[in-house]
Amino acid sequence: MGFEPRIVGFLCNWCSYTGADLAGTSRIKYQPNVSIIRVMCSARIDPTFVLKALSMGADGVVICGCHPVDCHYISGNYKAMRRFPLLKKLLKEFGVEDERVRLEWVSASEGQRFSEVINDMTDKIRALGPSKIRVQLDADKVER
Amino acid sequence: MTTECKIGVYVCSCGTNIGKMVDCDAVTGYTKNLPGVAVCKSYKYMCSNPGQEMIVKDIQRYGLDRVVVAACSPRMHEPTFRAAISHGGLNPYYLEMANIREQCSWVHDDHQQATDKAKALTCAAVKRVPFHEPFDMQSVPMNSASLVIGGGVAGLTAALELADANQPVYLVEKDGKLGGNLARIDLTSPYLDSAKDLLAERICRVTKNPKITVMLNSEVESISGYVGNFKAQIKSNGEAVTDIEIGSIIVCTGFREFDASKVGEYGYGRFPNVVTSFDLEKMLKEGRVVMKDGKTPKYVTIINCVGSRSGKYNRYCSRVCCMTALKYANGIKSAAPDAFITNLYTDMNAFGKGCEDFYRRSAERDTIFMMFDKHAPPTVSAAGKGEHFNMLVKVNEILSGEEVEIPADMVVLMVGMEAREDSMNVARLVNISRDKDGWFIESHPKLDPVATSTDGVFIAGACASPKDIPDTVAQARATTARILAKICQGEIWVEPVYAEINEDLCSGCRVCNELCPYSAIDYDPVKKRSAIISVMCKSCGGCVAGCPSGAIKARHFTDKQIFEQIEGVLEWASSRA
Ligand SMILES: Cc1cc2nc3c(=O)[nH]c(=O)nc-3n(C[C@H](O)[C@H](O)[C@H](O)COP(=O)(O)OP(=O)(O)OC[C@H]3O[C@@H](n4cnc5c(N)ncnc54)[C@H](O)[C@@H]3O)c2cc1C
Ligand code: SF4
Ligand code: SF4
Ligand code: SF4
Ligand code: FES
Repeated sequence: MGFEPRIVGFLCNWCSYTGADLAGTSRIKYQPNVSIIRVMCSARIDPTFVLKALSMGADGVVICGCHPVDCHYISGNYKAMRRFPLLKKLLKEFGVEDERVRLEWVSASEGQRFSEVINDMTDKIRALGPSKIRVQLDADKVER
Repeated sequence: MTTECKIGVYVCSCGTNIGKMVDCDAVTGYTKNLPGVAVCKSYKYMCSNPGQEMIVKDIQRYGLDRVVVAACSPRMHEPTFRAAISHGGLNPYYLEMANIREQCSWVHDDHQQATDKAKALTCAAVKRVPFHEPFDMQSVPMNSASLVIGGGVAGLTAALELADANQPVYLVEKDGKLGGNLARIDLTSPYLDSAKDLLAERICRVTKNPKITVMLNSEVESISGYVGNFKAQIKSNGEAVTDIEIGSIIVCTGFREFDASKVGEYGYGRFPNVVTSFDLEKMLKEGRVVMKDGKTPKYVTIINCVGSRSGKYNRYCSRVCCMTALKYANGIKSAAPDAFITNLYTDMNAFGKGCEDFYRRSAERDTIFMMFDKHAPPTVSAAGKGEHFNMLVKVNEILSGEEVEIPADMVVLMVGMEAREDSMNVARLVNISRDKDGWFIESHPKLDPVATSTDGVFIAGACASPKDIPDTVAQARATTARILAKICQGEIWVEPVYAEINEDLCSGCRVCNELCPYSAIDYDPVKKRSAIISVMCKSCGGCVAGCPSGAIKARHFTDKQIFEQIEGVLEWASSRA
């Protein structure tokens, strides 16, 4: 099998996780490369979660929250939105390509949109190839 | 706390829902060798009684102290399995679920990849669960007063039901009078009882009931608090503000009608005798069905599904208009006995009790039914000069396959139901979600149809989806059953999942104070530390990620737990490479 990206998704409980569940109940198919971790709100997502995932060899990380005015906690997604550029700046300094880490809004009714986000991201990262950290980790493992 | 954990893992095949795509035996085969796993089984239906009993027995037999269920979404059955393990003597928070149905078997179509992903998700749960901590539910008092927003038939019914049980109600209506859209309706299908009678009884009892405070020309300005203990501000007549305290909120804000002028080919607004169903209701209430020039129409054409079903405007069916159109055939015949009535429909949706009979009776009363394709709607044009009728309706009749021209003096458009223009504001006010069409979303469409994602906030009637009166009333009453059950208990139990500040780590910088959307964080100037008021915290975790000193812990969503999950999904994957 060729290169298959590993993507970690952090989804807020109220909109995006529900939207991903809706993709399921509607049987909308998408590529299996994403594994989802549920948090209550996108505001809970600490930049260290993203760094941890990348350092463990994830090829991509997607953060999904409610659309700007829809956050279950009023303004959590604005907090996530404000933190995101700082995280991106940091990642850039580490040499992590832009396409690997994304912030997307997916509402509870957007099962279709969730599948599109995942497919698009999977395709782009597949084209980009494995992350440098993953290549390194895999090489270390072979040596061992 | 951890390596000595004894974890029981249960992989559900959900009939074939999971088993068809995910090889459950391969998942158990892999999982049983993970550290800490004492027992690992797969079963047809974990949520069934035998499934739950299996967990309870294993807890005792193997001395399990943690349980992982790999099955459907935790949004579906987490409460079920929490109850099961607590029955087995474990703290309910010692459970973790892996979502291998909604987020795996149902969305993937490659067996191998779906099975691999199910392993990864289960592995993440197994790694996370040892770090779960036990919590006891928090008890808070339940205020027995309720706020009902909207005074249509839903709101009136809910208010009465609560007041009859001797509980105080505030009924807030935007308009200057009660009744909502039903007040604009003449007779009601399918039994043709008068809407006025139905409403008069409700309104009369509501206004006389001392337990109900009716607030007309009023709107809810703000809401704060949590289940059992909400505070609301009501603004009346644009100025006077009343503060109220309530334990529950029922949203009954109803619908608005589709704007018929959007459909160019029907000529609403262009031809004076093209009217909407509500225009006709008004005429029927006045007992006179007449054209703009005062004459009685001879040819009346009713067009169904206006704005509904084709997807050009709305894609859903508005549910009541088919039967409403049938009642018009009756009503028009009474007011204008010589009229010829044609009903153009896409499908005749006569699903309700008594409706199929009603359809048959109406068909016997000189109405001609013609079917059209919802994507090829009829057109309305002016009749030629000198004709004895004033409009011409052209329709491709599906059943005969012919293009038919129908003379018309009056065209009645069966406008669909839409979410109100201010539904977004209401949703934000009470903190609930809307679907893609703007209808409020229920907690579960089948099993929990009147509750919402916010505890203590309920929805009833046409604000949740198009609905007829019987369904609206049934929902309104269902909300009150939920509320009365809580009132009877006297106190309510809320999830003990909130954020906590570690005083030793807090530097007193107060960054978190500003971050909390619910003002749940207080600063103690003596100790120079911040502290969270647990019942006010809704556990968003915003302060947790924002604290520069890492002093705040989100119960049940700790950094450690999430790190373990991240490792779980990735470690599994790299062990395979
Ligand atoms: C043309 C037509 C004919 C119909 N005929 C029939 C029939 O024959 N038989 C049948 O069973 N059903 C019929 N229906 C359906 C029926 O009208 C609905 O089932 C019913 O009106 C729903 O009641 P409700 O209380 O949910 O909403 P509504 O009747 O819409 O009442 C909502 C109320 O809430 C108020 N409100 C809205 N927003 C706010 C706010 N933010 N703050 C305060 N107040 C607010 C509104 O002013 C209104 O008073 C018909 C519908 C239409 C369109
Ligand atoms: S109830 Fe009948 S008229 Fe109304 S949208 Fe549905 S099919 Fe069309
Ligand atoms: S942000 Fe952290 S350190 Fe600052 S006051 Fe709040 S808990 Fe204390
Ligand atoms: S978790 Fe959210 S609601 Fe709770 S104190 Fe922190 S910011 Fe406020
Ligand atoms: S709850 Fe979805 S982003 Fe806040």
